[in-house]
Amino acid sequence: MTQTASRTLAERLQEFVGKPYGGPTVARDPVNEPMIRHLTDALGDRNPVYTDESFAKRSVHGGIVAPATSLQVWTMQGLVPRRSDGEDPQSRLMSMVDAEGYVGVVATNCEQIYHRYLRPGDLLTVSSEVESVTGPKTTGLGEGYFITTLQTYRDQSGEVVGEMRFRILKFKPSTPKPKKSDIPPPPRDSAFFWEGVEAGELRIQRCSSCGTLRHPPRPLCWKCRSKEWDFIVASGRGEVYSFVVHHRPEVPGRTHPFAVALVSLAEGTRIVGNVIDVDPSDVRIGMGVELVFADNERGRTLPQWRPAR
Amino acid sequence: MKQGDTHEKVMIEKVDRAMFVRYAGASGDFNPIHWSEDFAKSAGYPTVFAQGMFTAGVLGTFLTDWVGEENVRRFRTRFVGQVWPDEAITCKAEVTSVGEGSAEVKLLVTNEKGEKKIDGDATVIL
Repeated sequence: MTQTASRTLAERLQEFVGKPYGGPTVARDPVNEPMIRHLTDALGDRNPVYTDESFAKRSVHGGIVAPATSLQVWTMQGLVPRRSDGEDPQSRLMSMVDAEGYVGVVATNCEQIYHRYLRPGDLLTVSSEVESVTGPKTTGLGEGYFITTLQTYRDQSGEVVGEMRFRILKFKPSTPKPKKSDIPPPPRDSAFFWEGVEAGELRIQRCSSCGTLRHPPRPLCWKCRSKEWDFIVASGRGEVYSFVVHHRPEVPGRTHPFAVALVSLAEGTRIVGNVIDVDPSDVRIGMGVELVFADNERGRTLPQWRPAR
Repeated sequence: MKQGDTHEKVMIEKVDRAMFVRYAGASGDFNPIHWSEDFAKSAGYPTVFAQGMFTAGVLGTFLTDWVGEENVRRFRTRFVGQVWPDEAITCKAEVTSVGEGSAEVKLLVTNEKGEKKIDGDATVIL
């Protein structure tokens, strides 16, 4: 990332400041006692004013209220987020920073102001605007931008019942080296393949009934449906059938960009693998490649490909 | 309530990841980084961690238990560090100033080692 590009992004982000960010969005459900009970259970809050009608009646509230810190809960989208056309300000801002590699996100600050307590039956509407965008800044997590939004919550009569200032950090993840122990053991169907890799062989599954090769390993022949199979050891010669050059999102531990190809094996089936020992921009369809066993960023040996010598 | 008054309580002795799952369901914050070990690790974290608003909610409970839920007007939190499974959540409050009918309270959440998780402040009416 050059200074110029950072400045340009910072400038572009300023265009969002002071403008609507999201909403107005009406809560899916009114404030209700079952969710209040779930919340107080989850928080371990045993104040009976949230759950005991007769106690709450005698309190200053005159009835059950929701915990103040539940302000932002009622307008959450739920497990299945609403579909977006990608053109709303939030989607545009997020894709703008994501595109520059600031793919990490963490909440850093939350300030809530309560105008009144929420009661069962209140139907909230939230609208938000971008208050400020600052950055790029160096943080413990990596370089990033702080995005502060101001949410205003209104009830069914339009009265403002609360406000929330929420700040997130969108950051470029620093790249921790994944541990070798993170690698899962191979499933039964592909154990022969990984044992081959350890032995320095590229083993390709072959149907014992019709002789058709297949990769990646799977239990059934796609051609004759036989479950019987053995394997051949590939010669390691092939050519690039298709490829991509990966720039973003950044993959922890890897150097970018890198090329990933679909390689046609001389024996007849295809396999996906990294193309290494070459400038990614020099990879071409039809290029001859040869097998090389090389460690990936996790220290795992993988069959990879380099230009044929 | 007067300036310099303090209050402290261990709100949770040992944080359990089931708490993150319960809070996800109750709050609608379903970000898998808080409950999926695989997802959290793939994002570079050692394991899952509490929703910031969960810990803020626990701090809110601590505050309302102390001053009465009818008296809190403003509540501000800064998420300083993640809260991990098996840690304790200890909340502290100190009255920093008392004005006309209201007071400003400084708030702090730490784990059992005194490592800061949240700092914040609140306005409460008297």
